[in-house]
Amino acid sequence: MKTALLVLSISLCVFCASTCQSPPVPPEVEKVKSQENDIWRAGAPIYAADDYARYLGSLRLAKEKLIKQNARLRWFRDYKEIRADFIVILARGDALIKEVQAEKRSQSQDFSKRLGRLEERMGKIEALTRLMNEHAPVRESLARAEVVSREAQILIKNEKYTQLAPKLDLIDGHIRQAEEALFSILARYADDNQVARWRKLADDTISESRRRGTTVVLVNKLARTMTLLKKGKEVAVYGIGLGKYGLSDKLYAGDEATPEGRYKIVKKNAGSRYYKALLLDYPNEYDKRRFALAKKKGLIPARTAIGGLIEIHGGGNDSLTNGCVGVENSVMDKIFPEVSVGTVVTIIGSLESVDKILAGLGISGS
Amino acid sequence: MKKFSKFLILGIFVVSLFSSCAKQPTQAIDAAKAAIEAATKEGATVYAADELKKLNDDLQAAMDEVSTQSKKFFKKFGTAKEMLAKVQTDADALKATIPAKIEAAKNAAIQAQTEALAALDEAKALLEKAPMGKGTKADIMAMKADLGGLETSYAEIQAAIDGADFFGASAKAATIKEKATVISDQVKAAIEKVKGR
Repeated sequence: MKTALLVLSISLCVFCASTCQSPPVPPEVEKVKSQENDIWRAGAPIYAADDYARYLGSLRLAKEKLIKQNARLRWFRDYKEIRADFIVILARGDALIKEVQAEKRSQSQDFSKRLGRLEERMGKIEALTRLMNEHAPVRESLARAEVVSREAQILIKNEKYTQLAPKLDLIDGHIRQAEEALFSILARYADDNQVARWRKLADDTISESRRRGTTVVLVNKLARTMTLLKKGKEVAVYGIGLGKYGLSDKLYAGDEATPEGRYKIVKKNAGSRYYKALLLDYPNEYDKRRFALAKKKGLIPARTAIGGLIEIHGGGNDSLTNGCVGVENSVMDKIFPEVSVGTVVTIIGSLESVDKILAGLGISGS
Repeated sequence: MKKFSKFLILGIFVVSLFSSCAKQPTQAIDAAKAAIEAATKEGATVYAADELKKLNDDLQAAMDEVSTQSKKFFKKFGTAKEMLAKVQTDADALKATIPAKIEAAKNAAIQAQTEALAALDEAKALLEKAPMGKGTKADIMAMKADLGGLETSYAEIQAAIDGADFFGASAKAATIKEKATVISDQVKAAIEKVKGR
């Protein structure tokens, strides 16, 4: 009898185990698994690290509950609470994905703005280099900045924002180098005393023209202009080109700089190799004294000559001279009959300080 | 009664056999973790991030299974062992693919570096024979300066390769090639401009 009872109870257990269905695991469990992967892919560990950690924490707790439930005999399992937990986690996960996307959008906008500002600075410097021929160190630094800038653009496009901050710092560094090189070239043009001297030189020339009723020529190197004045009044303004180091004041032969000062036309050459040419009396007495002093101080090699043959000539204002002032042939045609031997030609650096431009770039000129 | 006692002893023996003899697969767990660690050290974080994430997820799933079984009266670690063994196998397989991926990235970087150099050389050669005449001399000088900057940047590619930053090196090389090609195109346009006069 007892044996029969034992066999019966074992059979009952086996029957129950094989036929009693346990409730199914809620589908939300699998959904969360997929969602967690999406959240990770979206970059939550980077862009919402704290909230992602909290999300994983609550997911862990829910999974622990699931494990506990799964460990129970199947007819005692109850997934109601677990399903509720996983629904909450799904909602949190959706919010987290939105948060990550918002953060990425924000970072994209922020980095794009910063990059835009840097590129704006690069553009301003690049524009300034077009006013000068001695731009090699400036443009070299700009080219390096442009390479990194392009890399940064690609990183933004690929949503790799974590690598962007050092790139932007690098661009900033290259731009600063360009600005420093630019300032070293334009330092004289930001010096108020120097600009005042140039302005006085120009004013004296214009006053003389007005007083004596003569024709004069005023060359402004930074503005790249040549102004023809009659009796102190502006008659015409033409564009000019300068030498490789045209913004520097000529000191010796071969420095490819354009002299600054008050000169006179000493020869009109209608058959110049540069169409037509007006030879100036460079070096004047002041230039000679300056040259001698520089030589005495050892600033220039002992064998160096002072140079000469500084002209206003044709051939185009968009070419490089060796220190002369280049203009279009059509300009030479207009100016040639207006001037004569003895006409005063005053060459100045600038009438305005570039301090404002440099300050706009974030460089202090003074 | 005597028979019942025999059944009882047999039952206790069977229950003990199922519940206590099934031990946690600690060796398999350690092996799977070590395999993932080895793949990570090989560079999976950089070269196979998605696969590494999947491995870690699979490991966690296996650990959950271990945890589930540990809480059961009748412990069966067979499934967990299989899962862990698969993780280990997958991790080993992933680790084996990393050197090839690194090599491919390195080769791509070197290839990009070579192409950048070729683009720089072409631009340089074109600039050497560029017409330094009216209307072009200043532009040519500007382009020479720009090329100087690109050449300085070019040196940074090798530094990136030496530092095993192959993706960074490739990106820089591609950018330099792009900029050098722009210069070449501009010089060619300048040459055409002069020819057209």
